[in-house]
Amino acid sequence: MLVQKPSGNVVSCGDLQGGQMRRPIGHRRARALLHGGFIGAGAVLLIAAFGTDYTYYTTALWQWANFSAWLITAGLIVMLVAVILLVIDFATGRAGRLNTGSFILVTAAALLSLVNAFVHSRDAWTSVVPQGILLSAVSTILLLIAGARGWSLAMSRATGDRP
Amino acid sequence: MRTTSLRPTAALISFVALAACSSKGGDPARQYGADPYLPEPHEYLLPPMSVPKAIGWKAGEMPTVSAGLKIEALATGLEHPRTLYTLPNGDILVVESNSPGTEPYRPKDFIAGKVKSRAGAAAKGGNRITLLRNTDGNGKPELRTVFIDHLHSPYGIVLVDDTLYVANTDAILAFNYVPGATRITSPGVKLADLPAGPIDHHWTKSMTASADGSKLYVGVGSNSNITENGMDVEAGRAAIYEVDRLTGAKRIFASGTRNPTSVAFEPQTRQLFAVVNERDEIGPDLVPDYLTSIRQGGFYGWPYSYWGSHVDVRVHPQRPDLVAQAIKPDYGLSSHVAPLGLVFSEGQHLSPAFANGAFIGEHGSWDRSPLNGYQVIFVPFVEGRPVGKQIPVVTGFLGKDNETVHGRPVGLALDQSGALLVADDVGNAVWRVSATQPGT
Repeated sequence: MLVQKPSGNVVSCGDLQGGQMRRPIGHRRARALLHGGFIGAGAVLLIAAFGTDYTYYTTALWQWANFSAWLITAGLIVMLVAVILLVIDFATGRAGRLNTGSFILVTAAALLSLVNAFVHSRDAWTSVVPQGILLSAVSTILLLIAGARGWSLAMSRATGDRP
Repeated sequence: MRTTSLRPTAALISFVALAACSSKGGDPARQYGADPYLPEPHEYLLPPMSVPKAIGWKAGEMPTVSAGLKIEALATGLEHPRTLYTLPNGDILVVESNSPGTEPYRPKDFIAGKVKSRAGAAAKGGNRITLLRNTDGNGKPELRTVFIDHLHSPYGIVLVDDTLYVANTDAILAFNYVPGATRITSPGVKLADLPAGPIDHHWTKSMTASADGSKLYVGVGSNSNITENGMDVEAGRAAIYEVDRLTGAKRIFASGTRNPTSVAFEPQTRQLFAVVNERDEIGPDLVPDYLTSIRQGGFYGWPYSYWGSHVDVRVHPQRPDLVAQAIKPDYGLSSHVAPLGLVFSEGQHLSPAFANGAFIGEHGSWDRSPLNGYQVIFVPFVEGRPVGKQIPVVTGFLGKDNETVHGRPVGLALDQSGALLVADDVGNAVWRVSATQPGT
């Protein structure tokens, strides 16, 4: 198991103690950013909608399209919570610099998913095929890239690094 | 088709096109009659919607009638009156009813619920039948009683001999009727089950009887707009049933009728007719609702196609074999008017112009702008077929601003004197339309 220490270097678990020991004396302890986990949770729901869209595409069983509609709606609600927490992170001084790349990726995925929620509000086959599943696929790719960069959209102020 | 439309650029262009294209409906008159104008279907991110706010009638306000007719309120303060029936002794039955209520299945159902409630369509129904006795014909009933109570979303009603049949949303009940009775307290006996829950999207079960009284005909609506709740729940729906009155045995008489909200026999030819509410969300001018004769074994398109062989791409998998058989309806009423009432005129009681044809109650549109319907019309018949232009008979249900609605016409009936009765489920009234110069 690997753990990221505040400096951003990847070290093994056994080195964790030493990493904390090297923290400069008097440095304020980094407060965890609130929004990152919610970005990840929302992304999971939106990515899952691609899975259910694909299953509907191959089976034409309506319940899969229904799952997609609910997953996208729930994903957008969680993303909205994440946005509110991101604002709080900035307002309370937890967050430092905006992580522009991740911010653009997640924002684009959320906006496409918002359009997709309306596409999925259509009835039957064309609520998914072709536009719905296309939007789910693009959102999924964007979110997977954002996930690989870590879910946080901002640097932690205390360390100038991701939490 | 699929390979091209899956391309991202093509899809994005189509989004922009959808956002930009006009969603205003055209002149409804282009869709009246046997050969309606049918534009190309469009799908929307947000389908065009226009829902007038229900405000009811103030004292003294009432619908407008065409020249030579007068209108009066036969009853007010009802609980969502939907259908009307005149008994042989002249007593008028008012079925007060609404949907049994359905659980939201999809996120959009929450929005649809809000829309319905603004339009006054979510009001609780009385689940009962009220009797009005108007023997002297002056338009002021001297007796009003609760005739049958504790029903389950009733709609269709017909008397054969001494048995009154009531079509609840889930079954036909038979009640013993004694002429002159003002109340029935004995429980109904179930004649036959009808397709109902758990979704019961189109819940109304319209009903009439054959001339000899041996068969009942029941209109059963689809369980969705266009199969979005799956094909399983559409088994036995969007059809007109023939039910044997003695045994209760039933069979599908005709199918593919999305929501056949009223069924009636044309009096000269004894041909069965129905008004049918067609599908939504592919444009303000699609698909025209219609009046049609119902052929035994006929298939009228839903869900696979509309107005004959116009394929609906929202249905998957498609059925080209059924599309090839789909019957074109007889007479278009224009799109989204929501015809709910149908009664054939019997003579010149209202006017010589209305001697031969059908009155149709149009509940009015919600997914179209400008609004359409919200009136009672007359469709002239010649030799048992609908021909010519439809004529507005009762109008003025909409407010002058077209953003409010006083009432919405639903079921129709003729009373013993031949006057036209109109149920109004937003104004919670029954209107009586008669000639200003009686005796013609």
